[in-house]
Formats: sequence, C-alpha cells, structure tokens
Amino acid sequence: MNEPLSAKRRLLLATSGAALLVVLATVLAPLSPQLQTYARGLAFAVLAGLSIMAVAFLVALPLGALAASGPRVIDWVLRFACDLVGSLPTVFVAAVFWAGANSVSSFVCGLGVLRGLEQAWLLRCEIVRLEAEDPDAAPRSLGRTPLVAFLRRRMAAALGPLFVSASFSVAWLTALDAAVSQAGLRPPSALATWGVLLGAPHQSPFPALLAALSVAWLTVALHALFRPPSAA
Amino acid sequence: MSVRAAIRRLFGIALTLIAVSVGMFWASASYARRSGNQHTSPFRAFPVFFNPHPVGVRDIATNALHAIARGGTDAVTARIALARLGGAALPYVLPALDSLDPRSRERVALSLTPVAVRMQVARSDELADGAQAVLFWTRFWQDRAIDFRAASVRHLTSRLAERSIALRREDLIHVDTFALPALMDSLGRVETLDDVARVRRLNSVLAHITELPIECAPDASVADARQVVDTWLDFWELHGSEYAPLDGPRRLAATFVETQYGKWLAALLRGGLGRTRSGQHALALVEEGLTTTSFLLFVGLGGGFPLGVIWTRFERRRHEPITRLASAVLGTALAAIPCATFVRLFTGVGADLLSATCIVTITTAAWVSRHLARSTMNQSVSPIAAAFSVSAPLGATYPPFVLSAIVLVELMFRLPGLGRTAALSLAAGDVNAWMAASLSLASASLLLRHAADLVRPRGSRGEIAGSS
Repeated sequence: MNEPLSAKRRLLLATSGAALLVVLATVLAPLSPQLQTYARGLAFAVLAGLSIMAVAFLVALPLGALAASGPRVIDWVLRFACDLVGSLPTVFVAAVFWAGANSVSSFVCGLGVLRGLEQAWLLRCEIVRLEAEDPDAAPRSLGRTPLVAFLRRRMAAALGPLFVSASFSVAWLTALDAAVSQAGLRPPSALATWGVLLGAPHQSPFPALLAALSVAWLTVALHALFRPPSAA
Repeated sequence: MSVRAAIRRLFGIALTLIAVSVGMFWASASYARRSGNQHTSPFRAFPVFFNPHPVGVRDIATNALHAIARGGTDAVTARIALARLGGAALPYVLPALDSLDPRSRERVALSLTPVAVRMQVARSDELADGAQAVLFWTRFWQDRAIDFRAASVRHLTSRLAERSIALRREDLIHVDTFALPALMDSLGRVETLDDVARVRRLNSVLAHITELPIECAPDASVADARQVVDTWLDFWELHGSEYAPLDGPRRLAATFVETQYGKWLAALLRGGLGRTRSGQHALALVEEGLTTTSFLLFVGLGGGFPLGVIWTRFERRRHEPITRLASAVLGTALAAIPCATFVRLFTGVGADLLSATCIVTITTAAWVSRHLARSTMNQSVSPIAAAFSVSAPLGATYPPFVLSAIVLVELMFRLPGLGRTAALSLAAGDVNAWMAASLSLASASLLLRHAADLVRPRGSRGEIAGSS
C-alpha cells in the first residue's frame, strides 16, 4: 500500500491483525469440527508462511546479490534454475514435496527454497536494472565496492519486488494447499489446514469464507509491513 | 539477433526442456513411491534414471540355469523364467549343459520341456525322463544351432510378412522367442488392408510364442490392427531387453535405455507422445486440453496485465489516501484469496469457462497492480517486456503465476484443460499422460518468456535488467 504510515504503525497494524485472528480462531474453534480445522489452519498458515519467508530470504538475498554483482557463472546457474523452476507448475511440485517429505518442516523448507530461487531472480533483476540506470555504478562490482555501501545503497533500493513477493507467501501457500487438496494429491495423513476448507467441498461455506478472508487479511498486513524504503 | 545468439538461445531452451522433463519425471516417480499408492507404473521394476546393472537374456538365462542346477526354492521361479524366455535362452543354456553335473543337467533339461512343447519339436511325454530330456536337447542343439542366428530368423520373418505359408510359420515357431526382435521389427506401420493381413500373420506367431491372448480377428480393420501393433510394441517396450543380449555398446546404452525415463523417451520417439493408460495417444489428450488452457492463458495474459497497469495508474493518480488505501487493500485481497473461494461464490450461478476466465483475469490484474505499485520500475518500459521478459523483475514471475492460477482454476472448476489433465494423471500414476500435459504447460511458459525476451527493447546496458 502506498499510504504514508510509519514503520511502527505498520508493525502495530500487522501484529494486531494477526492477534485478532488468533483470538477469533480460539473463540470459534470449539463450535464445530470445521471451525476447529480453521483454527489449526491459522496456526499452520502463520507458522509455515513465516518459515517460508525466512527460508526464502536466506536463499534469495545472497544468491540474488551474487548473481547480479558477482561472478557471471552464478548468474547463469540462477537463470537456468529459475527457468527450470518457473516452467514447473508449482502445484505439482508442492504435491510431490508433500508426498515425499518426512515431516511438515521439510515440506515447508522445500517450498521456501523454491520461493527463494524465484525471489533471488527478482532481486538480481532489480539490482542489475538499478545499476543500468545509475551512470556512476560499475556493473558486477561486488568485491570492489565496500560491502556496507553495496548493502545500504543497492540492496536497500532493490528489495521492493522481493517484499511484494514475500507478502504473498501465506496466500501462495494456501492456494497451493487448496489446489493440491482439490486435485486429490494431498497425502491422507497430512494435517487439516485451510487448503482442506477451500479445496474440498463442505456443507457450510462459512469456515471457507472465514479462511479466505483471513488469508486476505494476513496478506494485506504483510503487504503493509513490508514497505520498502524506495516505494513510490 | 545474430545467428550465434539464436543458436545459443535455442540450445538454452532445449537444455531447459530436457531438464524440465527430468524434473517432471522425477516428480512423477517420487509421487508414485509414496506410501499407500495403489497406482503403479508397469515400469516400476526399472531404476528411474540410471541402471548400473542392466540385464539381458544372457544374464537372465545364466542365472536361471544356475538356480535350477542348484535346486531348492529358487529353482521354481527360475524354471518359470526359463520357460518364459524360451528359444531366446537356448543359445546360452544348451551349450552350458555340458558344464553341469549329470543330476543338474537333467533338472535343467526337464525344465525346458514346456519350451520344447511350445516350439512343437517334442511332446511332454517324450521328455518325461531326465536322461531322455538331456539326450533330446543335446541332439536338438547339434541339429538346429544353425537356425538360431539373427540373419536367418530375420529372413524367415520377412518372408512370412510378405506371404502366408504354413511352413514359414512353423519355422518361426521352431525358434520360439528367439524370433521376437525380428517379428517386432516386421510389424511396421499399418496403413492398408495388406498391412492388416501382415499384422494378422505375424500376430499369430507372436501370440503363440509369448502365450499372450492377443488376437487379430480375420475381419480386423486398419484401426484394430494398429491397436494390436501398439499392444505388441508396449509389450516389447517393457520386456524387450529380456529377450535380447546386451553386449558391448548395447550394454552401455542399456544403462540409460533400461530405465523408467529411457522407456518414456522411447515411447515418446515412437510418436504420439506415448500412450496413456486408457490406450489413447497422449498427443490427443494434449490437443483436447490445449483449447481450454490456451484460451485461459491468452485471456489471462492479455487481459490481466493491461488491467493491472490501468489499475496501478489509477491508484497513483488518486490523491485521496482513503481511495488509494481501498484500492491497495482490494488489489492485495483479490490477488491473495485462493480461487476456490470465488468458485464457491460462483457455484450458484454456474461455474463455466466464462467465470473461470473472469477469475484468472481479475486475479492476475490484481497481482500485477500490487507488483507495479511497489516496483520502482520506470512505467515507460514496454508492458510486454515488463510482463514476460525473463530479465525483467515482473516478467520473471508473471507467466509462472498466470500458469499456476490457470491450473488452480481448471482444478476448481473441473475444466478439461492441461492443468487438470496433468493433476489427474499424476494422481493416477499415468506417466505418459502426466509428462505430455505438464511438459506442454512448461513449454508454454518457457516459450512465452523467451519470445518476450526477444521483443524487449535493448539499450546500451540493457534498460530492463541487463542481459547476461
């Protein structure tokens, strides 16, 4: 969002939004099994979404910076990896990860790495674009310019697309989950999440609607939280 | 673009598609290995990508010979294997009889009785005694070893393919499964009624020596004969290596060919992108799904992006904070809410292609608007280049996002597109259908991105992102 909210206010907004959802889930959970699924799904969406974001940043930041300003071979490898990952429909990759993963954490880490590769390419593209626009900047200057200067100037300005992508992590995860459930590719032993509410038919549409609104709310909160310094 | 750059790009696309096919195949194999899976591939016995120890007829026959000679529980399975291998195993088993002790020799000779009966060279009662059986097979090999040569069998097969004479059929039955490679090669293409007659003659021999109940009726049509040929080729794809010796370069090639991936590639090269579990060519399946998916793709890509750009420009030009906030929240929410929710809302009014198209367009427009609103990207950049170029920040993620949205919508609305076909095939373990549908989706994404990269404007340092 482009509204001039301070960082503290945005953090407060996001935290209070998440807290409100937790309170709502706690109150509603005992009312029906589907609402209980909603409450469990909230915990999964928040924890898994945050984990995906953390893993993705861990992968994206060094890889993107190295691909943009480091040796060309890293750029080539990242481009090839992104071409490969971008060509595979993510729904099926998620289904395979889920079927093959020994635990939820390894499934989430796998998705995080997948997301990280995509975000690394976003970061790489933005850094290279900024370098191209800046007449004083030397291309592939990582190692020649001071690291602090590189991080403060170039990286800080290039984080915009990365943050937008990161703010959709919960929505991305839930959409994948719903699609995998709808396609019948969900492991039978997997824990009940929002994907079940959204992807499988139920008698009452209320929990599904609640889950959808929660996804939207969490995404808006993350979007507000991740406001890059260079945003218009 | 120079010729060198074009070749480099084409090479890159080909390399990526090969890597994608490997990834897809790994995905399919990994998914099939999940616990509780009821749908298994007929090629599950093969390794997925690399076969360090490929086995041919020589290996199977020699192992069976030793197992029968040793006796015990393994001998039962070995006897069945030897009977199935039949004539193809004789060049390796009969010369080795002399190297066995008399008791083992009798056991092996007796285990070959079903083969002799099938080859119509002896009756079972003539070979009831071990000593008699050994004597029979020793004499048989002395007299008939010369018939077990690839060139002479190929000659016999081509003559049977040309004209029907009972004696030629018998000659082929006398060499049993040793004739299988030549018979399979002679099946050929089926275009005319003469081809149907040829298939009928060859099928008669094939069904006899393999003991498989595959029939080609006297009044079979061209389509029926084609189906018979496809059935035999499927059989040969699965069991061919068991009847052929793997020596020298063939053994080396078998490390790749005798794998699940190699078998899929062979089916692909046979034409029609292989056959699905239902017997349909996978290419036909792709053609069926392509209409829906390409319609959604072009409307989603063509409608979603301009709408997103208009949305962002509207938002940027508004000065009232409340309007900008409402636009931003709406954009984020629309891009974030999974399509399933919309489907639930639309279900009452009929979930059809139009509703699906609307959802894809709105979702992609909202997604684009959020990215553009946050991007510092110069809006004068060509929208096509910004949306699809692999070197543009937005273009790197936009086509995959649209494709994922299409797959999601197809699944939710049960539309007969490639995404749904791929999902159902993956769940059913239908490798050929899965590979055909998912590779079509991947190719669409890859080609779109590279095509857009070609039309992107270039400056002194590459305005969008700098080409690498």
